[in-house]
Amino acid sequence: MARLVDRRMGVFLAALFVLTVALPVASSAAAGELVPAYLVSLVGKYLCYALLAVALDLGWGFCGILSLGHGAFFALGGYAMGMYLMRQIGPRGVYGDPVLPDFMVFLNWQELPWFWLGFDRFWFAALMVMAVPGLLAFVFGWFAFRSRVSGVYLSIITQAMTYALMLAFFRNEMGFGGNNGLTDFKDILGLDLTAASTRTGLFVASAVALAAGLLVARWITASRLGRVLVAIRDAEERARFLGYRVEHYKLFVFTVSAVMAGVAGALYVPQVGIINPGEFSPANSIEIVIWVALGGRGTLVGAALGAMLVALAKTLLTGWLPELWLFALGGLFVLVTLWLPRGVLGALEDGLAQLRPARTGAREEVRA
Amino acid sequence: MSGSLLYLSGVGKSFDGFRAIDNLSLVVFPGELRAVIGPNGAGKTTMMDIITGKTRPDEGEVFWKESVDLTRADEVETARLGIGRKFQKPSVIESLTVAENLELALKGPRGVAARLFGRRGETEAREIARLLALVRLEEARDAPAGSLSHGQKQWLEIGMLLAQDPELLLVDEPAAGMTDAETMRTAELLREIAGRHAVVVVEHDMEFVRALGCKVTVLHQGRVLAEGSLEHVSANPEVIEVYLGR
Amino acid sequence: MKIVLALPLRPFPAALLTALVLMLPALMLPSAGRAAGFEELVARLPEGSYSDRAEVIEAIARTGDPRAAEVLGALLEGSLHVRKADGRVVIIEKTDAGTVAFDALTGEALGAVAGRSTEKIKVNNRLRGMLRSAIGALSLMSPDRETRLMAAQSVFASGDPANIEALDAALSAESDREVATALAEARAVAILNTDAPVEEKRAAVAILRARGDAAAQAALAPHASDPAIGNEVTAALAEIERVRQMWGVAQNVWYGLSLGSVLMLAAIGLAITFGVMGVINMAHGELVMLGAYTTFAVQEAIRGAAPWLFDWSLLIAAPLAVLVAGGVGIAIERGIVRHLYGRPLETLLATWGVSLILQQAVRTIFGPNNREVGNPSWMSGSLEIGQMTVTWSRLWILIFALCVFAALLLVLRRSFFGLQMRAVTQNRPMAAEMGIDTGRIDALTFGLGAGIAGLAGVALSQIDNVSPNLGQSYIVDSFMVVVFGGAGNLWGAFAGAFGLGIVNKFLEPWTGAVLGKILVLVFIILFIQKRPRGLFALRGRAVEA
Repeated sequence: MARLVDRRMGVFLAALFVLTVALPVASSAAAGELVPAYLVSLVGKYLCYALLAVALDLGWGFCGILSLGHGAFFALGGYAMGMYLMRQIGPRGVYGDPVLPDFMVFLNWQELPWFWLGFDRFWFAALMVMAVPGLLAFVFGWFAFRSRVSGVYLSIITQAMTYALMLAFFRNEMGFGGNNGLTDFKDILGLDLTAASTRTGLFVASAVALAAGLLVARWITASRLGRVLVAIRDAEERARFLGYRVEHYKLFVFTVSAVMAGVAGALYVPQVGIINPGEFSPANSIEIVIWVALGGRGTLVGAALGAMLVALAKTLLTGWLPELWLFALGGLFVLVTLWLPRGVLGALEDGLAQLRPARTGAREEVRA
Repeated sequence: MSGSLLYLSGVGKSFDGFRAIDNLSLVVFPGELRAVIGPNGAGKTTMMDIITGKTRPDEGEVFWKESVDLTRADEVETARLGIGRKFQKPSVIESLTVAENLELALKGPRGVAARLFGRRGETEAREIARLLALVRLEEARDAPAGSLSHGQKQWLEIGMLLAQDPELLLVDEPAAGMTDAETMRTAELLREIAGRHAVVVVEHDMEFVRALGCKVTVLHQGRVLAEGSLEHVSANPEVIEVYLGR
Repeated sequence: MKIVLALPLRPFPAALLTALVLMLPALMLPSAGRAAGFEELVARLPEGSYSDRAEVIEAIARTGDPRAAEVLGALLEGSLHVRKADGRVVIIEKTDAGTVAFDALTGEALGAVAGRSTEKIKVNNRLRGMLRSAIGALSLMSPDRETRLMAAQSVFASGDPANIEALDAALSAESDREVATALAEARAVAILNTDAPVEEKRAAVAILRARGDAAAQAALAPHASDPAIGNEVTAALAEIERVRQMWGVAQNVWYGLSLGSVLMLAAIGLAITFGVMGVINMAHGELVMLGAYTTFAVQEAIRGAAPWLFDWSLLIAAPLAVLVAGGVGIAIERGIVRHLYGRPLETLLATWGVSLILQQAVRTIFGPNNREVGNPSWMSGSLEIGQMTVTWSRLWILIFALCVFAALLLVLRRSFFGLQMRAVTQNRPMAAEMGIDTGRIDALTFGLGAGIAGLAGVALSQIDNVSPNLGQSYIVDSFMVVVFGGAGNLWGAFAGAFGLGIVNKFLEPWTGAVLGKILVLVFIILFIQKRPRGLFALRGRAVEA
């Protein structure tokens, strides 16, 4: 069995640790605000994307499940957290209703819908952050995998799933704030969301979640189960004839991946201050795939790096030349699929391998 | 039939009007070595699909050890019952090493949790070493299966079948793409295996079938045309007509 | 007249008689007498309370004067004013040059008027209703067929028994069948509102029952509790409800067919690239968008250079759209897709990238907002079939979609290119062996799918907003059609598109548009579990290949 923390993972985790300590310190008043304070939340957001990318890579890179609907799990986790944050507003809303969020007062609702009950407690919301995406993935996957829907067909119906959810969440009647979604959050666990300390706390939490997500994913893929996943990815039929219940394995990975995406969404929402149905849009979900493809499918660490790279590029480009962003993103899709089939990390390793041809045992090689 | 390992009777299967299998009957006893020959489209692969639960027959009976109805089982269930299958095209997990491929096939728990928390034990390591020796792949132990030659992949797949320790091996054209020496070595290997396991070999190569030296079943248009020793079926005028005579 | 006629019988002095005659109008004023002429009545319109005005309006209507309809119409629209200076009743008209007045009786132009020099003659809701019915009755005899039809309809809506005489007169003079039916129906409504004999009312109910639409229902409903004809009315209402439901179903089928034709246009190109070639082209929606923008560009050029060609704009745009979208399609195939055969997931990602680039390119060139694409005259307006409305644009699109489908079938089945294409998809090495340039066939096949997307864009520009996001709104739906119908089969796309279109439109009235769409998506997601390869999938050994 392979080591849980290999060199690649070790380097990444160490760098993540340094970032997690350095950024809040550098942005603090004590250090004379070497970097602007908003950077903390911005990088925190990137870390959430990275976790989302790791979640997708777990399914796609190791089990061949290309989900074009992972944005849905992310958004559901985000909505669960958003509902908690809405309930925390309490009577401080514009309409001052002690229980009902503003949008419900605006829609003339008299009482809280049943599915909003319990979200005033953090532990319950935290549970839902994982349970709702997990349950959706489980039910959806159970249907899909049992019927052996796979490959492109699976991708298309996961896209239809997130599209249907988007349409649903746009409706006011759904009770999730319609178009505008959930916003105007005040505090989390009694801490002011605008305070630097809270933002730092969320940033650190995101870093910890990313590290944990990477380790969990690595633990799964490096276990004996990981071999079965690779077998399913590369030769599904063979795995089945060896007596492996392929659909159970896929379901397991898909569900774990969805839970991870939900956690990423939950950490994302308090840092950006809003969640709306746009997060369900199919375009968002496909963007996740390019993060993973750019970083290197089936490398976990590469997926996380790819997410952060693309997110950084998006921030910079949409700031400077908003017109160019979609050209750049579109070009990236084309370039990566044509010339970097194993992603940046894969290309780097190939380069290194050519320098040192004696090395053997590249076990996680991914066929394009 | 009493004491049979595998029993097919009156099996039929059509695809969009094409009769792939028509009133096929076949009996295999434990430990038996059997060769199935027949021209292209004779229904050999469909027969294997039906036995392994990949395809449901339209009619007829398929029984395992006289008690288990295989028409109700799927691939996973038949694999777990003890039927191993080697595909015509070698099907190994190319990005895993040879040893990992064998480990994946080893008899043992197949559940998600068991695989997630399980460790490779001493006995398993010994078993893998034994299989590596048997299929002559000790040297390639840690090489990715994708880097093996065609013949080596065939052997690795046979090794994987043996790792499953099935009671019945279905082997589809094992000699395809092999050198003569490799072909003879494969026939030898299959003869060794037979006895402990029943083996059904589908093959085109007459030299190979001769080397197996076993009972032969000739399929034609989804039906059994003749059955017996190679000499016996070779003398059958119908067989000569449809198959050997061409 | 009686009074005047009686007067000479009395031995009154001539002077007194003269005085009396002169005073006559004044004497009759409070009762708005029958004898007053049209001019006088109009002159009296500004005076008195609303109820006085009501009597005057009735009286005007009764004169049957040919000018009455115009004056009452002006009153209804609020353009009948009284000039403050001399109390003259005028019709004012707002023009670019300012407000001008015309004499209400003679039509003499009185020149521009200042805003405050005239005062509007006011009407309330009761008067408005009365005016409509009165105008209706007056227009019943109009020489213009359309006017008579409109009038009959407005009289129908008022149901005023006062119009019965006018209707009878109009009916006896009417020669047009449709107008006569409308008049008879209007008369039936009016009859129900009188205390006419039961027999006559029954006949009226029968007439309305035969009409069988919502208006007839509304006219009948108040009489359902009438002891004399209640049973007939209830039966008629039930019958009308049944007829209406039938028409409702027909209308829904039509909407469904229309949506289906749009879906099919959007999906059929995809059925070729995805179904026949196994290539996932996520930029397909953007190729549709390019077709729509080509139409826009063609229309812009025509507006500038040759406006008289406008009705031909779509016919000019169609081949250009095929060239533009097909050309871009071939470029995509040669530049990208060709390198990714056998790797469907990578193809999906790369073409998605292309779709982003195309979207942004169009946004940069044409701007992010909706662009206006006009309907040629033969595509605007609508057609009434019974109780169902069929817009010409949607009807033409349906016909167009069917033609494209038929043409495509023909190309695939009968042409040499179609033969080569099938050869390449079924056995590439063999086809290459036989001297077919497989690369060229791949490019042309992809170009064909893309060109059809361009055609779809021309059609969609007629009924949807032309914006850079046009393609995005169709891509999920088109994939659903192909997945539902079964890849690799044009008939599958056909059945999938029309099936989903009709199901969608039948769900909508119950669930609303958005929920209906969600339900359809959920249905497909469940359906694909049962038949992972769609409705018309190839079965058996072919699938494993």
